[in-house]
Formats: sequence, structure tokens, C-alpha cells
Amino acid sequence: MVGFFNLLINGLIEGLIIALPALSLTLVMGINRFPNASAGDTMTFGAYAALGLQYAGVAFFSFAVMGSLIAGALLSWLCYRLVFQRLSRAPMVASLIAAIGIGFMIRSVIGLVAGHDLHTFSLPLVRAWNFDGIRVLPTDLAIAGVALALLILVFCWLKLSPSGRQLRAIADNPDLAKLSGIRPQRLMGMLWLLSGALCASGGVLLGMKAVVMPELGWEMLLPAFAAMILGGIGQPLGAVVGAVLMGIAQELSIPIVGPSYKIAVAFVVMLLVLMVRPGGLFGHVEKVR
Amino acid sequence: MDAYLLAIGTIVLIYALLAIGLNLQYGETGLINFGHVAFFALGAYTSALLALKGWPLPLSFLAAGAIAAFSAVPLGFAALRLRDDYLAIVTLGFSETVRLVIQQEEWLTRGVQGLPGIPGLFTSLAGTPRAWAIFLTLLAVTALAAYAISLLQRSPFGRMLRAIRDNEPAVEALGKNPSGFKIRVFMLGAALAGIAGAFYAHFITFLTPEQFIPLVTFYVWMSIILGGIGSLRGALLGSTLLMFFLEGSRFIRDILPGVAEVQMANIRLAMIGLALVLFVLYRPQGLFGKRPV
Amino acid sequence: MHSSRLILTATAMAAAMCAAPGLAQAQEFRIGALNPVTGAGSPYGPGMQKAILLAVDEVNAAGGAGGRKLVVFTEDTQTQPQAAVLAAKKLIEVNKVQAILGTWSSGVTLAVMPLTDAAGLIQMNVSGAPAISVEDKKDLVWRFQATNDRFGQAFAEIAKKRNFTRPGTMAFNNASGRGNTDGFTKAWTAGGGKVVGSVVYEPNRPSYRSELQQVLGEKPDVIVTGSYLPDTTIFLREWYQSGEKNKWIMPGWAANPELIKALGPEVTEGLISVDTVSSETAPSYKNFDAAYLKATGKPASSNVYAAMTYDMVISLALAMEAAGPNANVEQINSKIRDVSNAPGTKVYSFAEGKSLLGRKQKIDYDGASSKLDFDKFGDASPDFGVYVIEKGQLVRKEMISLKPASGN
Repeated sequence: MVGFFNLLINGLIEGLIIALPALSLTLVMGINRFPNASAGDTMTFGAYAALGLQYAGVAFFSFAVMGSLIAGALLSWLCYRLVFQRLSRAPMVASLIAAIGIGFMIRSVIGLVAGHDLHTFSLPLVRAWNFDGIRVLPTDLAIAGVALALLILVFCWLKLSPSGRQLRAIADNPDLAKLSGIRPQRLMGMLWLLSGALCASGGVLLGMKAVVMPELGWEMLLPAFAAMILGGIGQPLGAVVGAVLMGIAQELSIPIVGPSYKIAVAFVVMLLVLMVRPGGLFGHVEKVR
Repeated sequence: MDAYLLAIGTIVLIYALLAIGLNLQYGETGLINFGHVAFFALGAYTSALLALKGWPLPLSFLAAGAIAAFSAVPLGFAALRLRDDYLAIVTLGFSETVRLVIQQEEWLTRGVQGLPGIPGLFTSLAGTPRAWAIFLTLLAVTALAAYAISLLQRSPFGRMLRAIRDNEPAVEALGKNPSGFKIRVFMLGAALAGIAGAFYAHFITFLTPEQFIPLVTFYVWMSIILGGIGSLRGALLGSTLLMFFLEGSRFIRDILPGVAEVQMANIRLAMIGLALVLFVLYRPQGLFGKRPV
Repeated sequence: MHSSRLILTATAMAAAMCAAPGLAQAQEFRIGALNPVTGAGSPYGPGMQKAILLAVDEVNAAGGAGGRKLVVFTEDTQTQPQAAVLAAKKLIEVNKVQAILGTWSSGVTLAVMPLTDAAGLIQMNVSGAPAISVEDKKDLVWRFQATNDRFGQAFAEIAKKRNFTRPGTMAFNNASGRGNTDGFTKAWTAGGGKVVGSVVYEPNRPSYRSELQQVLGEKPDVIVTGSYLPDTTIFLREWYQSGEKNKWIMPGWAANPELIKALGPEVTEGLISVDTVSSETAPSYKNFDAAYLKATGKPASSNVYAAMTYDMVISLALAMEAAGPNANVEQINSKIRDVSNAPGTKVYSFAEGKSLLGRKQKIDYDGASSKLDFDKFGDASPDFGVYVIEKGQLVRKEMISLKPASGN
């Protein structure tokens, strides 16, 4: 039973970290209609940006994090303006391939500038709180807290602000949205700024939990995509719920399938859900584009 | 020098076979398959394992194509129910799962330790004649595949495929069932990838699961984008360009002596990324393609 | 195709004539340096390449080997079997090398071996997979690094010496990581012990808490790992935070100063780190260290594989010397054990060995990396250094020499 709770907690934390890029992916997928394969490398960029700021002597870690959010937002926005915007009329695969190419470029520049050695954030090491065998790491709590705070912020913005509502409208039904006079241009810019910031924050949190390497974000792409699909494309809440569910399912499956196959669990869960509900948990079915 | 160029040519042809298969799936039918490397892997391991058990190579090659084709069936069914963007990711997950299974089922594949000592092609020959034999055989197979597919494209089957790609609801409205066609196309493309895998296995003679990562699928996509979607010539040219990128950096050292060789890998990656973006933006139909990506 | 071939041949001939003034082709021995300059092996590849070039200069300065000058062609394996195969083909077909030295990853060596065997070339590597010994059917392949199995045996000896009784294992899921822990388990159970818990984990995960849990649940007193720096950083940090008190035995490429830098002295205190060590007391090592320092600015101890590739060239050159002028590759190959194994007068440099061979004496070259006593598989057996991390420093505690294997 103790083991069960520990696995649950592990899965929850990992799920919350993945929720951030998953949210970014679902928004872009819902609005721009393509899987943004550069999200992983944007995460890596965010982690390195925070690292760079820390090395440059920025006073508090939280300032470095905020700096990295801004950097990530700008990077994503640039990618949109320079590349994805021009591909908005092209088929989906074009944007997907371009995203892959952009991801490669980001990763290679990071490798050229920062080298391939691994880095860690200089954070204090604290022992876990032990509740009769159930272990909770204070750093994990901090990570979860930051992730939750960011998610809540984004949700508030989406639900309460006019821009947020307009974005959701476009995600839901682009034609109707245009008919009601919503002008997408400025909104797109905001979307991509948000997307970049989300990915960057995910990267920083991931770097805090693990280590900072050029391959950091790329490895998280597939789980993030799986979470997005599980939750339903274009459904922000779905992405978060999907990510957390997937994280928990993966960890809980370890005693059954072993740590190596747990990665396949994400895929299997996603596939099962899609077979039964092609629109994902929260989404609606859309067979014709 | 010959044998070296022929070796590069052999790899180019292997990628060309992969590209032809993918071209069929995407170019003709619009099926977005980001898990192509799975069929490559299944074909490679099938042929290698059977050959190690004593099967003659032509038979193991056929088995490789067959196994790859059958493995495409579940994916084909998934393609029926899923939208484009979903399919891309599901196929990616599929290829990673296949790789994981190959890695974990060590009793069969020797897993991470790898499968050494795979029988090579034309072992009765040596040196340059052997390289020629391998290259020409592969060339013949690729040419045959390309010819067969061009026949297919011109056939009623091919017309149906393009109709499905361009207007599926209309096809359904006419009373035809696109499902069977889509699945058959998936299987055919997978079979080609499986045969490519068999050639690969007996050429490199050593297999590990690490050789079948999603990056390989992206390379194949790159080939068809560079060469042009829907064009058979494009598949060949695209693969050549791809090899140029991957092998060419070996010679950059002579041209740019200032660049540290250690950074070559990063520069290579950057150039591939840049090429992808530029081609998609400015030449979406590739070099020979008839329609944009 | 025809005319370009003509041009290429003409250019090659012209280049060859320019490159070797006064020396005909036959007076050269061509070596291919095939190293992991990029990819996973990139921390070691450039240094390995440098060491080969150093050794070649040393041999040529002493007048060449067997009446021949050594010529080197360098290529990058990218630590990938496919790229390595193409690189090897270029070395073999274009540069016409007679030996390929310095492959690092087991996957690369296993992919390149069929090529060198088919061409009848000598191959020397620093890979760990036991399969290499099995596939070495023509005895043309020479291994200068301890096999993974031997690593595991060293781990087992260390654990036994320190009176651990309940070991657990954690292995990175690749040939090397699994090889280390499988070797340990084999040796430990052969000695009558039992491994209480084991886990194999996947690369590139953000956290290994659950995997760690699986092993810690069995309450081991020591955990033996086949791991690498990034994953070790992650799970060691998580282990420390969990408050468990077991000890660790890790390979030296994971438990190194980088790890200490990343996690700090408190987390890494008491960690036992094991790696092959060069023969640091041997004069051959001292000379190499000085030369390597001068060439790269780093001590030889920073790259244990560099000493191995240096030895590759020296032992090859001594074999060439022993085989005499105009010897073919097969004849040279047959002399490698002659010049490196006992019995014989111990020599520690090429010049030393050459002069003794000139007087028809039997020599035994003890290299910078190890005594280079090749067993029947062509495997050398470097010694292992056992270090413990104390207060943020790696402190050498002892050395372990495994007896040359009867099996692997």
C-alpha cells in the first residue's frame, strides 16, 4: 500500500510537469491545427535560459525562471512569425515538418553554445518527508506548486479574459469565430507567446527535477502529445487531466509491466481511449476537417 | 573508391525504398505515417533472425516484407478512425512501442546486446565485385518497386487512392468503402519498408534497437520532402540529398578546417533542420514533386 | 563514371607522390584511426585520436617500424554503427588502410569487425561487449579494455572485500550497463551469494524514483550500478532525498568529478567508484602522460582510453618490427602476442623495444594502459582502480588485478 502511494505521488508530479507542454500543444493544435514538434526543444531552451541567467549571476532563482519564461515566449513567437504563420494555408504536415526542423535547429544551437555536458540547477538538497514509508519530496512539492500555479493562471486567463475567450472560440470553431468578428492576428501572437512560456516553464521544472541536457525536451514530446490526445485536442483542461492521468498510469503500471514497458503504457492508454472516444476524454468527435 | 561509393549508394537505395513506401502512403493516399521506422525494424529483425536460423536469404527477405505488411494492419485500422493529426502521433507511438518490444524481448532479439554475425549478402564474392552485386540487386529491387507502383498509380486502384486523398466523403457517397484501400496501401508501403530493413540488416550485419529510433522516420520524411511528394524520381533524389547531408559532413573538415570536428554533429543537425524549414517554406513541392507537401 | 574515376585515380596518385617524397608506397603502413569524435563517445574520441597521432609520431621519429613509415587517416564513427560502417568502408576502400584502431562503442566495433575481417585487416578496440570475443573468428581483433564481464567481476570482488552481503543492482538499459551488472551477478552468485533486488531502467527519463523504489524495497546494503552520468545524477539525488543508507559501487565514468560537482560532497560521500586504470607506475605511462599533456593540455588520467589507443599503435609497431620488413598484415598480426606477452624482457617504449628486437631478443611490452598480456581471445586485462569519494574528492583506495581469463 505504501508502494502504491509512492508510485501515485511520483506519477502525479511527473504528470504535472508534462501538463505544461501538453497544454501548450493542445492550444496550438486546436488553433493552428498542427502538432508543434518544436515544443520539446523549446522546453530545453527554457531550461538553458534559466541556467544561463543563474550563471550570469541573477539574484533569485525565481527571477531566472521568469527570465526563461520571457525568453521562451519570444522564441516561440518568433518561430510563429517567421515560419508557422506563412504555413497557415499549407497542409498540416508542412507545419509539422517545419516544427521538427526548428526543433533540430534549437537543439543544435544549444549544443554548440553550451556543449553536451550536463548541468544542474544549484538548488538546496532537502531530505524527503517520510510519512510511514510514504515519501514526499519538498522539491517535488515546489515543482508541483509552480506547475499548478501556472496552470491556474493560464486557465483564468482563458476563461475570464476577452482574449482568452476569443482563443477558445477559435479553437472550438474557427469559421464561426471569424464570422463573429474575432480578428485572429493579434490573438495568434498572444497564443504563441503563451505557448512558448508554458514550454519554457515545463523545461525549467523538468531541469529542476532531473538534469539539464540538450536532449531534455525531445524525450518529453511523445508523452506530452499522448496527454494532449488523451484529453482531447483543443481542450485545455483535457490536456492537464490527460497528463496527470498518464503520469499516474505509467507509474502504477511499473509493478505489472516493469519500468521499461511503462513508456508503452502511455501509448496504449492513448490508443484505447481513441478507439472508444476518437475525440479524447473531453473532446468532441470531428471526422471531417 | 568504387566500393566506398557503392556502399553509400546502397544506403541511398535503402532510404529510397523507404521513401517510396512512405510516398505511397502519404503522397497517394494522404495517410500521415510517422512510424515508418517500425516496419523497417520489423523487416530487419525478421530477416536477420530467420537467416541466423538457416533460412535462405530470398525467403527471409520475403518473410520480412510479409511480417512488416501484417504489422501495418492494426495501424491501418487505426488510420480509419483517426484524424490526420491524431494519426501522426499514434503512428509515432506505435514505432516507439515496436522498438521497445524488440528491446525488451531479449529471448528473441538479444535486446540491447544486439544481434551480431548476421549473414551478409553475396558472401561468395569479395571486395568490389561484392559491393557491385549488392548495389545492383538493391537497384533492381528498387526499380521493380518503383515500376510496380507507377503501374499501380495509373490503375483504377491508383485513381481510387487519389480520390480518397482528395475527397473522401465523395468516395463514400459513391458507395465505395475507402477503408479497404487505405489498409492495403498501408500494408504495401510497410512491405517495402520491411524489405528495405532486410537489406539493411544483411548489409550492416549487426542490429541493435537503437538503430530504429524515430529520427530514421524523420529522415525518410525529409527525403520525400526534398525530392517531392508523389514523385518516384523524387524519392531517389531526396534520399541522395539526405545522404549528402549525412555523409558530406565527413568531408567538410577538409573545406572548413577551422571548425572543430566535435561540433560537426551539431552543425549537421542544424543544417538538416534548416533544410527542412527552408524547403517547406520555399519549395514545398520539393525538387520533382507534383504537389506541395 | 569512367572519366571521373580516371581523374580521381590521377589525383590520388599525384597526392600520394606529393605526400611521400622519396618514399615509395610500399614503404608505408597505413593506419585508420576510427574514433567517436561525435556522439555519445565524444568525451573520449578526440583524445583517443590525438593519442594515436602522438604514437605514430613517436614511432616515425624512431625510424619507423619494420622499415616502414606509419601513415594515419582519421575518421569519426559518430558512435553509430551505420555511420561507422560507412567510415570504415572509406578507410578500407579509399585510404587502403591495413589496420583500423580505436573503436569505442561495442555496437560500432561489432558492426566494423565483419568488414575488417573480410579485408584481412587488424582491428583494435576499447569496447566491452563479450560478443566481440565470440565474433573474433580470425584472431584479428584486439581488445585493450576490460570486458563488461570483467568489470562485473571487479565489482563482485570489491563487494566481497568490504563484507557486503545483500547487494542490489541498477542497470542502464544498454549493452554496457547491463553487461556490468550481469557480470557482477554472475560473479557474485558463483561465489555463493544472492542478489536481493535488481532493476533495469530506461535512458532519458526525468525521474527514477519508482525504479529506485523497486531496489530499495529489498533493503540492500550496497547497490551496484551500470550507469552513466545523467541518470546517476538523477537517481542518486533521489536516493539521498529518500534518506536510505546503503552504499554504492559505480563505474568510474558515472562516479567522477562531474558527479561530485553536480550533487555536492554530502550526497556523494562514501561512493565507491571503479574504473580501469592505466599502468600509472610504468615508464610507458609516464612518457605518454607527458606527451599527451603537451599535446592536449590535459593529463592522461582524464581519458583512460587515450592511453589504450596509444598502446595500440606501439604494440602494432613493435609487432611490425618483429615481423620484419615486407611482412604482410597476417604475419604482423601473428607477432602481436610475441611482443606484448611474457616471457621476454620488459620494455616500455617503442625505441627500447626496437633496439632489443634488433638484437634478436624477445620482448614484453608493458604499455601505458595495461601490461597488455593478451589472452586467447585477444583481450587485454587492465587493472581496476578502486576509489572512494571522501569530502568531495576521489581517493584511491586499492587496485584490483583480475587474473587473465580462462573463459571470457
